[in-house]
Amino acid sequence: MIELAHVTKRFGDVAAVDDISLRIAKGKFCALVGTSGCGKSTTLRMINRLIAHSDGDIILDGQPIDAYDPVKLRRRIGYVIQHTGLFPHWTVARNIGLVPRLLKWSAADVQAKVEELMKLLGLPVDEFAAKYPHQLSGGQAQRVGVARALAADPDILLMDEPFGALDPITREKLQDELSRLQARMHKTVVFVTHDMDEALRLADHLVVMREGRIVQQGSPLALLQQPNDPFVESLLGGLERGLKQAALTRIKDHMSPMGPTLPAQSRIPAAFSLRQGLSMMLRDHTDRLTVVDQHDVPVGELTLRKIVKEAQPEQGKVRES
Amino acid sequence: MNPSVGRRSLGLHGANRAIWPAVWFALLMLCVWGFPHADGVLRSLEPDANQVVYQRASLASLLLQHLFVVSVAAVVTIVGGVLAAIAVTREGGRDFLPMVAQVASLGQTFPPVAVLALAVPALGFGTLPIIVALVLYGMLPIVRNTLGGLQDVDKDIKSAAIAMGMTPWQVLRQVELPLAAPVILAGIRTSVTINISTAAIGATVGARNLGDPIIAGIVNGNMAYIVQGALTIALLALTVDSLFERFQERLRSRLYTS
Repeated sequence: MIELAHVTKRFGDVAAVDDISLRIAKGKFCALVGTSGCGKSTTLRMINRLIAHSDGDIILDGQPIDAYDPVKLRRRIGYVIQHTGLFPHWTVARNIGLVPRLLKWSAADVQAKVEELMKLLGLPVDEFAAKYPHQLSGGQAQRVGVARALAADPDILLMDEPFGALDPITREKLQDELSRLQARMHKTVVFVTHDMDEALRLADHLVVMREGRIVQQGSPLALLQQPNDPFVESLLGGLERGLKQAALTRIKDHMSPMGPTLPAQSRIPAAFSLRQGLSMMLRDHTDRLTVVDQHDVPVGELTLRKIVKEAQPEQGKVRES
Repeated sequence: MNPSVGRRSLGLHGANRAIWPAVWFALLMLCVWGFPHADGVLRSLEPDANQVVYQRASLASLLLQHLFVVSVAAVVTIVGGVLAAIAVTREGGRDFLPMVAQVASLGQTFPPVAVLALAVPALGFGTLPIIVALVLYGMLPIVRNTLGGLQDVDKDIKSAAIAMGMTPWQVLRQVELPLAAPVILAGIRTSVTINISTAAIGATVGARNLGDPIIAGIVNGNMAYIVQGALTIALLALTVDSLFERFQERLRSRLYTS
């Protein structure tokens, strides 16, 4: 668990981070969102002591971080940055094995771990192990960056705009893979981004920052339903908010049982979001969809009326965080 | 940037570049062992002189002396220059960075001849003053390149190295120095090559090296002596320079084998 209590960071007279308090439970995915210069990266870098905080307490597993040796502390915290920071003179395999080697694992253990992670991140060992970072695409390099951060199996993962430099398609793909990994590994993740959609997709807990302060925090749905500030509302996309909320709601939770009428022509998997359902209705000029399970067997139906009703704030289900 | 490009167009490429140090070294040996027997050729330069073959010492022994002086100066310069540049790029030494950079520049603005004139009263005649002059003169390229090389290491890479839990020593040894190595080596190459020719002026203060025939030639008006000294020095410089080039290439290919 990570806890920040009244943490402040001053550079000279300027407070880059101003009295923020934040608690990230073990295994949760917390996104810090805000425009550039709002102090979100500084907050992240204070957690692994790349930057020393000026005031307040940062507590990690019950102990203030100043009580840890900084080198040992960093070896148990994974760190991923936008431009990867891979060592250009080392092969992919050597880059990934960095922290295990620092921790003096045996060569065989290091290699086994490197190969396991490469497979996990979709980097075939034969093809990539001996490559150098300059021979990789942006997406591949960032996979290596994530693998390097995970190599010593840290409980905590800090990610500083990891997908910010990637094209939209690659970014989306890596976001999907990250949430798949997270569902499996349950790391405590602190993720910095200026991309609200990315934060909404990935986070359990959303923290909106502006000028060094926390403006609002809560679950993505809670923020979408009740932004308490025009700034938060504009970050959430103003009018688009409705669609964003629908994107976070799964059809499975809102479909009705099959009606007595003939099933609708258009079919949609139950795992999809209400937003995708709505989109399909617009495309197919219909107000009714047949919901199917993963074997394409009809399990219910979704109607436009139902979507509109579900999207009302007081009836929407707030995801627990 | 890459001096081998010109040679490539002459048809010497790839592995053939490896022969250049050997070529220059063979010519150097030809000079050292051939001049004493080249009375006829040298005579054509100075038909009226009593003597045209430099005989006060063998070129081979002068060559060894020359190499010795340059090597001692190079070791002192490299160790001192690289260490100073590393020290002032660390956390604790940053305040001294402008000072070290300026002292190194000052060393090169000082003409080696002037250094000799100042050093001889303090250190006496012989080899020591020329070593001091060479160290001062050769310091700048090494300090400047080491500083530049270390400072040019990508900030993200350094930051990642620290964040992964590397100690400052590990960051320096495994990340900064290997990445700066090609630039540092280029500085060493410049420094050593310049000093091979600069060392010749040591002959004016009694250091025995390949500058001797040149100074003797100037004093006696004997062009044949000058040619023997100058050609040998030039070939020595080319041999060493081409060796450095090979070394740089090997370093580059070891850094990024693609």
